[in-house]
Amino acid sequence: MTESAMELMNVKKTIGSKDIIKGLTFTINKGEVFGLIGPNGAGKTTTIRMMVGLMRLSAGDVRILGKSIKSDFKEAVRQVGVIVENPELYPFMSGWQNLKHFARMIPGITDERIHEVVKLLGMEKPIKEKVGKYSLGMRQRLGIAQALLHAPSVLILDEPTNGLDPAGIREIRTYIRRLAEKEDVAVIISSHLLSEIELMCDRIGIIKNGELIATEFVRGAEEQENVQQVVLEVTPACQAIELLNEKLAIEASAKDGALSFQCEKERIPTIIQTLVQHDMAVYQVGLSNDTLEDKFFDLIGENTIE
Amino acid sequence: MNRFFKLVFNEEMKIYIRKSTWVMYAILAAIIIGSGLISYFFGDLGEEYTGDDWREVLEEENEEYMQDNEEWIQEMDDDNGFVVEMNNSYIAKNNYYLENDIQPKPYDAWEYVLENVFLLSVVSLFTIIVAAGIVAHEFRWGTIKLLLTRPISRAQILLSKYVSVLIFALFTLLFVVLFSWIVGAILFGINGINPSIVIEQNDEFAQVSILSEIMSGYGYKLINLIMMATFAFMISSIFRNSTLAIGTAIFLMFAGNSIVGFFSDHDWAKYILFANTDLKQYANDGSPIIEGMTLGFSITMLVVYYAIFLVLSWVVFTRRDVAGQ
Repeated sequence: MTESAMELMNVKKTIGSKDIIKGLTFTINKGEVFGLIGPNGAGKTTTIRMMVGLMRLSAGDVRILGKSIKSDFKEAVRQVGVIVENPELYPFMSGWQNLKHFARMIPGITDERIHEVVKLLGMEKPIKEKVGKYSLGMRQRLGIAQALLHAPSVLILDEPTNGLDPAGIREIRTYIRRLAEKEDVAVIISSHLLSEIELMCDRIGIIKNGELIATEFVRGAEEQENVQQVVLEVTPACQAIELLNEKLAIEASAKDGALSFQCEKERIPTIIQTLVQHDMAVYQVGLSNDTLEDKFFDLIGENTIE
Repeated sequence: MNRFFKLVFNEEMKIYIRKSTWVMYAILAAIIIGSGLISYFFGDLGEEYTGDDWREVLEEENEEYMQDNEEWIQEMDDDNGFVVEMNNSYIAKNNYYLENDIQPKPYDAWEYVLENVFLLSVVSLFTIIVAAGIVAHEFRWGTIKLLLTRPISRAQILLSKYVSVLIFALFTLLFVVLFSWIVGAILFGINGINPSIVIEQNDEFAQVSILSEIMSGYGYKLINLIMMATFAFMISSIFRNSTLAIGTAIFLMFAGNSIVGFFSDHDWAKYILFANTDLKQYANDGSPIIEGMTLGFSITMLVVYYAIFLVLSWVVFTRRDVAGQ
């Protein structure tokens, strides 16, 4: 069922003697929301600029629906809607004039289509106003509208949540999920903040110093509820670890004076019962669900730019 | 073709939707109306020749000029030489009218249009400003990223911008001509559809059609306009900096002749662009600025410079990595 929308094949970028991107290979499928995460300066924006032909590839190739961005630029880029960094539009024109301007550059975009996109993003009211008067959130929306005009198969958003308030982020999240699920659009989102895009992505690629160091599936909400990371404060800790291992076959580790382990939520009462029966003092039990974030920090380590 | 037309339409829209462009047109309109009013109230409109006694009027004038000259010559001052010369040329012109039995016509809209050829320097200035911004501004606004991620080649986008600059120059030129004619017609009236005028050519007078005079006057100036606009366009697409493009282009436009004058002793001075932009130097068997230059040579030099400007813009623009600011 999964069909690839965009493929990166050993993409490299060398500027001077410096390797900015050291060979990226990954695939994004139709209907998938893919998050590109990495610290500032990791090469996210460079990668996106190469994906859409704004920068030349030093080596490798990018294929969009099988069309190479290098040899078949026009056909490849026709399938892509993109916002690179900030949503920059002409401030001296109205939202509508901006959209008309970009619609003229691609054949087959009717006024009805523009109205449809404007409606989708809830921009009917401010569309006649000058973009210079827009708030950042409104410009971000107009930027997305501009990228959606030609109904692309791949939507690329670079830092779409930059400078948005929580409500704005939530709105964007809703649009993106709807696009991926209803229109089968492949969406690529870059960010340096995992927490902001974790909720909208199906899969996350972690990029550091120009290399893809891991890709992770974001677990669905139901799955997340079953197996949980449990943090348990109990004394004496060493005996508690042994006890959990013997009686309940749970492998726990001591961390910051507390035990931490993974288990299903339903087993927590049993665990506490067992511990209390063996005269151990339980101070507190908590759930931590930021395992992805932990992993992220483990993987990227310090936020250093080499 | 239709696509390309739409691209040019987009560029024109971005030029004409901005207030700064309308300020340019307002300035031109103000100059045209202002200088028209000055001529109307203080200028010599030649109305004294409209009667049947125009021959007597001309002869009287000649006598006045001669008297004037005698007075100047008596003073024996070298500084007055040029006044004498000017008076002599007025006398010669009046004699030409009398000898050929041509009644001088009063000042009219056509002559006003011809006189306003100096406004092409202002049109050049505005075209340079537009050419300097048309690529550089897209980079400054960040919108270049949106333009270059459309299914259109970069060369076509660059060409659409260049063509838009030329169209802007054409529209502005037409505005100057038409508005001057209208203002002139209102203030001075019109002497027919294509009246002839008497002008000085190669130290003698001749009667020529004013339309051809207007065409050649504006035409010669257009060469410099197009070369400087193309130069500004090149700087704009190479350095992505409109200020630099405006600065260098305007500097060269005004300093061009001084540069040629400064190096005119050297043999290579004839290869300087500005030695070749004024093709009028070859008209009516005139002598060129530097010896040995011919019309063919100058046209070749202009074509070479023009091609270099465009090829450099194209090479840099189509190959550039569009990175952060």
